[in-house]
Amino acid sequence: MISLSDFSHEHDRGSIAVSVQNLGLTYTTSIDKKPTLKARLKSLGRGRKFTRTVHALDGVSLDVHYGTVLGIIGSNGAGKSSLMRVISGIVPPTKGRIEVFGSVSTLLALGVGFNPSMTGRENVYLGGLAAGMSRSEIDAKFDAIAEFSELGEAIDSPMRTYSSGMFARLAFSVAAIAEPDILIVDEALSTGDAKFKAKSLNRMKELRTADRALILVSHALATIEELCNEVIWLNKGKLMARGNPAEVIAQYREFMNVGKSASTDEDV
Amino acid sequence: MRTYMRSLWHRKAFVAEFARSQLREQNFGSVFGQLWLILNPLLLSGVYFLLIYVIGGTSDATRFAHLTASLFLFYLIANSLTGGVKAITSGQRLILNTSFPRIMLPISAVVVAILRFLPTLAVAFVIHALVGLPYSWQMLWAIPILFVAVVMGLGLAILMSCVNVYFRDISSMLPYLTRSLLYLSPILYEASKVADGIKAFQIFNPLFYLLDSWSRVMVHAQAPTTFGMAHASTFAFAIFVVGTYFFLSRERDFAVRL
Repeated sequence: MISLSDFSHEHDRGSIAVSVQNLGLTYTTSIDKKPTLKARLKSLGRGRKFTRTVHALDGVSLDVHYGTVLGIIGSNGAGKSSLMRVISGIVPPTKGRIEVFGSVSTLLALGVGFNPSMTGRENVYLGGLAAGMSRSEIDAKFDAIAEFSELGEAIDSPMRTYSSGMFARLAFSVAAIAEPDILIVDEALSTGDAKFKAKSLNRMKELRTADRALILVSHALATIEELCNEVIWLNKGKLMARGNPAEVIAQYREFMNVGKSASTDEDV
Repeated sequence: MRTYMRSLWHRKAFVAEFARSQLREQNFGSVFGQLWLILNPLLLSGVYFLLIYVIGGTSDATRFAHLTASLFLFYLIANSLTGGVKAITSGQRLILNTSFPRIMLPISAVVVAILRFLPTLAVAFVIHALVGLPYSWQMLWAIPILFVAVVMGLGLAILMSCVNVYFRDISSMLPYLTRSLLYLSPILYEASKVADGIKAFQIFNPLFYLLDSWSRVMVHAQAPTTFGMAHASTFAFAIFVVGTYFFLSRERDFAVRL
């Protein structure tokens, strides 16, 4: 049996993986979901605003060390996903400085780059290449991916024929094979049925090695507490607290005025 | 810029695989599948055969060969443009979740257009042979003309994919633009047949001399004119440079605009 952990890198525990200093992100986006030239021409001279400014992050500073699993919690709109996107280079910061010491892989959404017309096998290559892997890397890991996804012969059927659970299993398997120095995961554990959720969680535990830094965003506080050895809490783009998972989660619960319940503990 | 180009080169396998998957999706579920890549140009040339030989009642082989060859090259550019315009907006999931050079998406659209064009080139050569048109070494000019056409297609795809992020209705206007270009370019007629009164305006059409050069080479087996090649190359490289500059200056904005 091939384990997804058979492919490894080396880094010293405790050395800095990501350094974020006074990070700020302000961007201008369209008010209309689909901005059009027609709307712009019709309102010429009427002074209507077409864009709004969003202050997503403000003065966030943190260091992530190798060997650390950093959890990020916060309510919707707190800036968690923005922080992930800035660290992974998807969105450039407006101010501050980010230094990344190692290769970064993101697991921000499942099935990125997949094409439903193609078979599961072809999508493994498409998704892997989209994630920045080379064809030979995917060749080497293909059997492990297929085994982890538990799709059996369905791997050669078009993904159009897959159930949502099968789709999510293959997508997670492709995403989880990446063995980067720094792995950024955003709400990707709520995948498939209970058995596969447990398997995904175990895979995350497998990835917790001394030579890797994991950054995990989730609303599932129990998962965060179980996986992480450090947690930060963001609120309206600002860093509210950082430290021991149990303590930060307790502060967050108190602030949000919610007790410990199944809805805040589990992936939903 | 060097890092950007290196990153783009590193991702070339993804561009090829992504283009292949797009092409597959376009013909997925149809009875003939990928065979449509050959059937399409054959049916198109069949329609024009019917128009010229059967309905028109003429036996103008040169006109038939000119029409089909020019139309195939026109579709290379038109398909680059129509495929490229939505390359960024339809790649939203990729852009929001992965860090990669965004220019890969319109490039993939042009690769799809090239893959669709290649079978039509074979059909054009078959028609050339069937109607008994001449051959000469001048036909090798087709290679630089094709290169210029690809540069123009790339420039248009890159430019319009970026414009469409800010004005989503641009893609709905494209069919009218491409149809206008089709009628204003020497496809349904030869460049020499354009009335004197409007000849002065053909200089403003970026495709005019490109298609005229293509017809001279592929149909008449003659060398293109120096002015024709200079005009086509100038337009192609200008569109490519302006489009790429505009795209690269805006691409950091895409993730928050989609």
